[in-house]
Amino acid sequence: MIAINHLRFHYPKDKMVLNNISLELESGNIYGLFGKNGEGKSTLIKIMAGLLYPKTGSCLVMGERSERRTVKGLQEIFIVPEEFELPGIRIASYARINAPFYPNFSKDRFNALLEEFKLGPHERIGRLSFGQKKKVLIAFGIAANTKVLLMDEPTNGLDIPSKSQFRKIMASAVDQGKCIVISTHQVRDLHSLINHVVILDNAGLVFDRSLYEVSEGLWFGKAQADDTEHLIFSEASFGGKSVLPRAHRDETEVDLELLFNAVLTTPEQINQALNIATHGTTV
Amino acid sequence: MAPQFNPKRIGHFIYRDLVLLKGTLITSLSVAGGALFLFSLFAMIRDKNLTDGEFTGIFGLFYILTGLVFTFAIFREAQHKKMDHLYFALPVSPLERLIGAWFATTVLYTLLFSIVAPLIGQFAILVGSVVFGANFHLLSLFQEAYWQVVKVYFFIHPVFLLGAIAFGKNRVGKTLLFLVLLVLGVLFYNMLLYGILNHGHGVFDDDALASYAFDSAKSDFVGAGIVLFAGILGPVLLLTAYVKMVEKEV
Amino acid sequence: MDFDNSKPIYLQIVDFFYENILIRRWQDNERIPSVREIAVMVEVNPNTAIRAFTHLQEQEVIYNKRGIGYFVSENGYGKVLNIKKKEFMGEVLPDVFKKMRLLDISFEEVRHAFDQQKNETDHEKK
Repeated sequence: MIAINHLRFHYPKDKMVLNNISLELESGNIYGLFGKNGEGKSTLIKIMAGLLYPKTGSCLVMGERSERRTVKGLQEIFIVPEEFELPGIRIASYARINAPFYPNFSKDRFNALLEEFKLGPHERIGRLSFGQKKKVLIAFGIAANTKVLLMDEPTNGLDIPSKSQFRKIMASAVDQGKCIVISTHQVRDLHSLINHVVILDNAGLVFDRSLYEVSEGLWFGKAQADDTEHLIFSEASFGGKSVLPRAHRDETEVDLELLFNAVLTTPEQINQALNIATHGTTV
Repeated sequence: MAPQFNPKRIGHFIYRDLVLLKGTLITSLSVAGGALFLFSLFAMIRDKNLTDGEFTGIFGLFYILTGLVFTFAIFREAQHKKMDHLYFALPVSPLERLIGAWFATTVLYTLLFSIVAPLIGQFAILVGSVVFGANFHLLSLFQEAYWQVVKVYFFIHPVFLLGAIAFGKNRVGKTLLFLVLLVLGVLFYNMLLYGILNHGHGVFDDDALASYAFDSAKSDFVGAGIVLFAGILGPVLLLTAYVKMVEKEV
Repeated sequence: MDFDNSKPIYLQIVDFFYENILIRRWQDNERIPSVREIAVMVEVNPNTAIRAFTHLQEQEVIYNKRGIGYFVSENGYGKVLNIKKKEFMGEVLPDVFKKMRLLDISFEEVRHAFDQQKNETDHEKK
């Protein structure tokens, strides 16, 4: 659905933000795009949406080069930027003037989502808080029914109950034909939603695996004394948890925060352990 | 399949712009209308009369100024640091965006202003006749001078359009500067042309060369300038605006 | 739903099903929520919910009527009871025995505590 090939990007007269990124994103998945602040998450999302142009390499969205911003391509992609401003008109007017551009937009779905977010169609966007504006845009983006939905830090500005609402809505939004990409540095907010992890660090792609693969290959938890020789990564704090090759241990839930920290510290070892788990011990 | 050019989508896009700019449009039209009203009254105080010619002059001034404001307002979203993402991600092709913006700020705007302005002028005459006994008569705006003003607006409009897209900060100032330079350039070009073509007639011997040449160039501007501007510069400016639109990243 | 950090979420969803069946909230042959409804309820990726449903089908606790939805099996209650009993015997009890040895607790003491708690709960019921 999205194919990125040897993509490089930097801002004018600045260091490389994305260096030789190659990535394939398929439909039916919710991708978690992680990375420390300033590691190019937003830039990558903007490139996918055709808002920034690759310096070299390419980004194809459903076969169309994203920087060409074709109508056909844009009709199948919706972006919820991290920071944005909406016009001060009523929510219903906002939907009325923007919906005609999206052939698969569903007004019923939009209204249902607004209701779930406890917003009324006649409220003026100008009087809403930033979190509420974000809800309007998320609701519109889901109702637009595009094949690709890009969200940059969607839970920023949402309070705790709203984060739960957001997860419920995202769980209902995904279907086999859709590809959702969520970038965040707040790994905890979304851990139950995503099923594929992409991690950017030092302008490069350091990790790109499905959570299924991770839970097959790695074990997360408090290590016993006799495990120490297998340790891949371990939190420094007392009672901290560790990452081990899973081998014959029971499957554990992937601790995304732990995985994220482990990947940033020892990307090679993590990837190697997973390669061994996937391709057998002969590697 | 979604083609890159769809008149219906342009319609939706213009409607969208008008809804978003409703506030700006109402405010700038009220300000322009108020000024139009006051200027019309002032024009009546001395001779107790507002001629069609006088009114067209006042109309022209505010018609072009408000048009400038409107044209810049229509690209505010594209220039706004927090709105540009959603503007450029909207499934509308650059050509459609440009045609939509052009149509709204020329044809639609001219229609609107040409309906509102005479009403205000007529109201000013009514007030003038009641308050200080000015001559009451029905204004007729749509004379030759009106069409001249509209033509001028349509000619210089591509400059506004390009300026509104191409410049980031101080868009209006830069555009006006660009416009002045452009007019000077065209004048100079005409003068040069005139000087070269009339070299044999000894224009360059005269002390009053510059003013003489300028005068001639000015009168030539109507002919050569229009051809140059409408025939070449206008389309070139619009094409540049299109390229700017295609190239623009957030 | 609050997740326990160590157990895979899909197995926690399976436990949630077991519990509902054991407390008879979901009767045998009764229709249960869809994959999507469960995903939304527990705020997880539908793929995770599908994994839970697949697991439950493999255990023959639920079955799928094509085009209608999922139902608790004919003897769903009995099957869950069996599974949970096995889990108790195989995983919980060995841990308890290990602790009993460690703390030197006799079987009689445990029986006494068990009877006492039973009496208390019976009393409360009356």
